[in-house]
Amino acid sequence: MNAALATGTRLPTGQLRLRVGQRGGRGIATSQYHQGALRVIRPHYLDASGQVAYTIVNPGGGYLGGDVYDIDVQVQEGARLLLTTQSATKVYRTPGEPAVQHMHVQLSPGASLEYVPDQLIAYRGASYRQETVVELAADSSLVMCDVVTPGWSPDGEPFRYHEVRIRNEIHRDGRLLALDNLLIRPGDPDAPLSGMLFLEDYSHLGAMLVVDPRVDADLVRDIEDVLGSLDPDGQLGVSLLNRPGFALRALSRSTDTLNTMLHAAVDVLRARWFGQQPLKLRKG
Amino acid sequence: MPNTRTEAPGRRPTSYLLPLLQLSDSALPTGAFSHSFGLETFLERGVVHDEETFTAWLGQFIHTQLTYGDGLAIRLAMEARSTAELRDVDAMLVAQALPRQVREAGVKMGARMLHIASAILDSEELDQYREDVARGQCSGHPALAFALAGRTLHVPVPELLATYLFSTATSLTQNAIRGIPIGQDAGQRVLCRIHPEIAAATARIAGLGRRDFGAAAPGLEIAQMRHERQRARMFMS
Repeated sequence: MNAALATGTRLPTGQLRLRVGQRGGRGIATSQYHQGALRVIRPHYLDASGQVAYTIVNPGGGYLGGDVYDIDVQVQEGARLLLTTQSATKVYRTPGEPAVQHMHVQLSPGASLEYVPDQLIAYRGASYRQETVVELAADSSLVMCDVVTPGWSPDGEPFRYHEVRIRNEIHRDGRLLALDNLLIRPGDPDAPLSGMLFLEDYSHLGAMLVVDPRVDADLVRDIEDVLGSLDPDGQLGVSLLNRPGFALRALSRSTDTLNTMLHAAVDVLRARWFGQQPLKLRKG
Repeated sequence: MPNTRTEAPGRRPTSYLLPLLQLSDSALPTGAFSHSFGLETFLERGVVHDEETFTAWLGQFIHTQLTYGDGLAIRLAMEARSTAELRDVDAMLVAQALPRQVREAGVKMGARMLHIASAILDSEELDQYREDVARGQCSGHPALAFALAGRTLHVPVPELLATYLFSTATSLTQNAIRGIPIGQDAGQRVLCRIHPEIAAATARIAGLGRRDFGAAAPGLEIAQMRHERQRARMFMS
């Protein structure tokens, strides 16, 4: 009998631990562990900046009700990690319990994380909870994105998922900085006002959270100006946080529109803060 | 000596009724009349334009931001057993308000509510909260100031919650009457139709967990963020 069963705790459906440190001027995993339906593929370096890119893979193909995924990421002093996924995360019908992903991120002083996953696709009757806790230092840099979309039925109608929750809790030097807790319930197509405060009659949501000492009101305005021209729906909101950082949300009817906007914001930050070229993720 | 909950139903009102009515009066000078909490963005876009659409907006506002933010904060504050736990509620309130204008509205209205509640009630907890805000240890928020008043008065949680939610709904309706505009009678009809929503929200808040705190509807947050750049504003949020 293994230890987890002996203590009565169930192993997560998928588990991933990744520690990234700085070795010889570039980031590299100093330890990694995976179990079940989560793993990472070998690291890439997209440019000469020393930022390491890891790609999370879910060999299971999708999340089901009651599934628990557990991701633990540490970035050590001065190291920079770009974390992405190989493909969209699909959440299928979850009768009973929702599918859950827990993520814990620790950024040491001077460490940075850009988390740019593919979109989450929630199918009919899906309930999903994503809970992320980030602990960072005053001079750490955090950029994290989410895109939530409905699955599409064979006749081209968007599936009505039940509920998606994306909760990001950010602690900076041990103090709660931001509680970014999104609750998404698609409206009832037969009751046009039912989704007024959620998605209205849009189907796709993009969200971004940035915490970095270099964020100020001018940067927020610049981001808004750059993204405004890419926003055909007029449903983009950006606001400065209580401490240096900003939150961004956008509604749309297409994943491409949202990805274009979020990537444009990521690219502004990469260029300004790190002198890097626009992000080009090689996915096959 | 703390006030005790007494003799309702009887010949006299409960000890908390009159101070609670005073603190929940829509004419209470907290500045609520200048905050629309994103409603003005929906007005500007024409999404909210009459009694019907405003009723739908208000119901959803109650079931999202008011339930998971202010409402749950009041319940957690009523359950708090120490000053540290009360300070946590203040930190959570400011951390969950991502749109800047909503955060600033909380700080401004919180200072006013604290000032007024302290003038009406003799409470060590209100004094402590004022001191924490003055020293910068807390940010200040009307929901927490209201909850501390409720603790002092020993108001049962469901009554305190329903009072706060309805008081906020009343302020927003007054703002809608001016902003849409709709008639005073229409405003009263909206408030009457909102009674069951207040009751449902009060019941839901009782069953929420800490992880639900601050759960926000994206369309509302976007409206609250976009309000920062809206031209010709009647309201500060």
